Amino acid sequence: MPDTQWPRFMVFQQEAEGSPFVHNGTVHAPDIEMALQNARDVFARRPEAVAMWVVPAELIYTQTREELQNPTVIASVAERSEAISPTDSKAYYVFAKFNQQDKCRHVGEVEAGSPQAGMHEAIEKYYEVDPLWWWVFPKDAVLASDSEDTDPMFAPARDKTFKDQAEYPVVTMMREIRAKEKR
Amino acid sequence: MYGADVEQVAIELNEDPEKLAAFEERIQRGEKIEPGDWMPAEYRRQLIRMISQHAHSEIVGMLPEGAWITRAPSLRRKLILLAKVQDEAGHGQYLYHAAETLGATREEMIDALLSGKAKYSSIFNYHTLTWADNGAIGWLVDGAAILNQTMLSRCSYGPYSRANIRISMEENFHKKQGQEMIILYSQGTPKQRAMVQDAITRWWWPTLMMFGPHDKDSPNSGVLIRWAIKTRTNDELRQDFINQLVPDLQACGIQIPDPDLRYDGASGNWITGGINWDEFWQVIKGNGPANAERMAARRKAHADGLWVREALTAYAENQRQL
Repeated sequence: MPDTQWPRFMVFQQEAEGSPFVHNGTVHAPDIEMALQNARDVFARRPEAVAMWVVPAELIYTQTREELQNPTVIASVAERSEAISPTDSKAYYVFAKFNQQDKCRHVGEVEAGSPQAGMHEAIEKYYEVDPLWWWVFPKDAVLASDSEDTDPMFAPARDKTFKDQAEYPVVTMMREIRAKEKR
Repeated sequence: MYGADVEQVAIELNEDPEKLAAFEERIQRGEKIEPGDWMPAEYRRQLIRMISQHAHSEIVGMLPEGAWITRAPSLRRKLILLAKVQDEAGHGQYLYHAAETLGATREEMIDALLSGKAKYSSIFNYHTLTWADNGAIGWLVDGAAILNQTMLSRCSYGPYSRANIRISMEENFHKKQGQEMIILYSQGTPKQRAMVQDAITRWWWPTLMMFGPHDKDSPNSGVLIRWAIKTRTNDELRQDFINQLVPDLQACGIQIPDPDLRYDGASGNWITGGINWDEFWQVIKGNGPANAERMAARRKAHADGLWVREALTAYAENQRQL
C-alpha cells in the first residue's frame, strides 16, 4: 500500500447560527467522515464554530475574475453549460470572495446539470454581487456536521479560556514592575 | 532585481513582459494574487520554498516544548503547553494547505522534510534544558515569529496572507503565556531568577538569528519585496524586536548577554554587538546542537504512525466496496 497523505477536502465553517459558511482551508483524510473529524481538530481549537462542512477538493469548480475577463473562458463556460441536458440537474452551492483580504463565503444555491452550467447560472443569478472569485460545488458532495454533535464537537473549545491572550495581563504586570523600580 | 525595470526583469526571468507588468500592477494596487491567477514561475517557486519551510518549522517546533509536557510544574501550565503544541500542529496544517494551492503536494513536502532536503527555522535545533526555556520560547521565539507573521499577513499571495492572519492571532496567546512566566519568575525566588537568567542568556542570540541573514547577505530579499511576498526586511524586523524586548527584559532585572549593547539616541534604536553568523550557518547546515535529534524524532513519528494511516486507508477502502 503506498504511504500517501490521502485526498484533500475543503473545509467550511459557520461561526454562529444563521451566519454564512466560510472557507477555512483543507485537510487530508482517507474518507469524508475522517475529513470532518480532522477538520474539527485543525480548525475548531478556538470557540468560533457551530457547524462545519467538508467537500472533496476536486469537486470544487472555481473561476476567478481574472479568468472571467478572458473571453475564451466565458465562451467555454457558456458552451459547456448549454451542452448539458437540464433533466439530470442537481443543486449546487455558490460561494464567492468579495474583498482582497476576504475568504470565500456562501452566497446561495443554483440548479444545474454540470459544474460549468452551475457556474454560468451562478454568475447570472448573482451578477450584482460581482465577486473576485466564484466557487460552485454539488450540494450532495457535502458532509455537514450533525446538529446533535454541535456540543461534543465545538463546546470543548469554549471552556479553554487559557487560549485567550486576554488571560495574560502582561502589560499591567510590566507597568507594576516599572512602578516598583521607581520607588 | 529590486527596483529594476519590468522589461529587464521579464527578460531575466523569461516571462511575458505584458503579463508581468499587469501582475506587478495588481500588486501595486494591493490586490491579492489567488490560486488560478497568472503569476511568474519565480513567484510560485519562492512562495513554495517559503511556505513549506514555514510549515516545517511549525511541525518541528512542537518538539522542544513537547518534551516538557509531562514535566510541567502545574496543571495550568500543562494545559497551556498542551494547547500551544497542538496549535503548532494546526499552524503546520494551515501552511501546508497554502503551499498546496500553488501545486506543491503534501507528499513532496513531507518527503523533503524527512529526507533532510528541506530547511526549517534554525531556532528549533536548540535544546530546552530547563522549564524556564518554555517561557523564553514563548516570549522571545514566538514574539519574533509574530513580528514576521504579522508582516506576512500582508503578503500579496491570498492563501498565505490568510494563513498568517489566523496564525498571528493564535500566537499572541503563545507569546503572552511565556512573557507572563518570565515576568513572574524574574520577580520570584533566587532559584527562579537564576533559571530565567540562564534561559534568556541561551535563547537571546539564537532568537536574533531567526530573522535571517543581514539584508546585504540575503539573496532572496530583493524579489520577495518587489512582489510584496515580504513587505519588510530581515534587519528591519530584527531591529523592531530588539527595541521591543530590551527595555522589558531590563525592567525585569534580566541581563542581556551582550556587552556591546547600547542605546543610540539619534535613531532611537538599541544597537547590539555582532551576531555570530558562523553559528547560524552551522545550524542551518545541520550541525546545530539538536538537528540530528529533531530529524530522528520526526522520522520516528512518521514511521510509528504508518499503521494508523494503513488502517484508516483499509477502512475507507472497505467502506467503498460495501
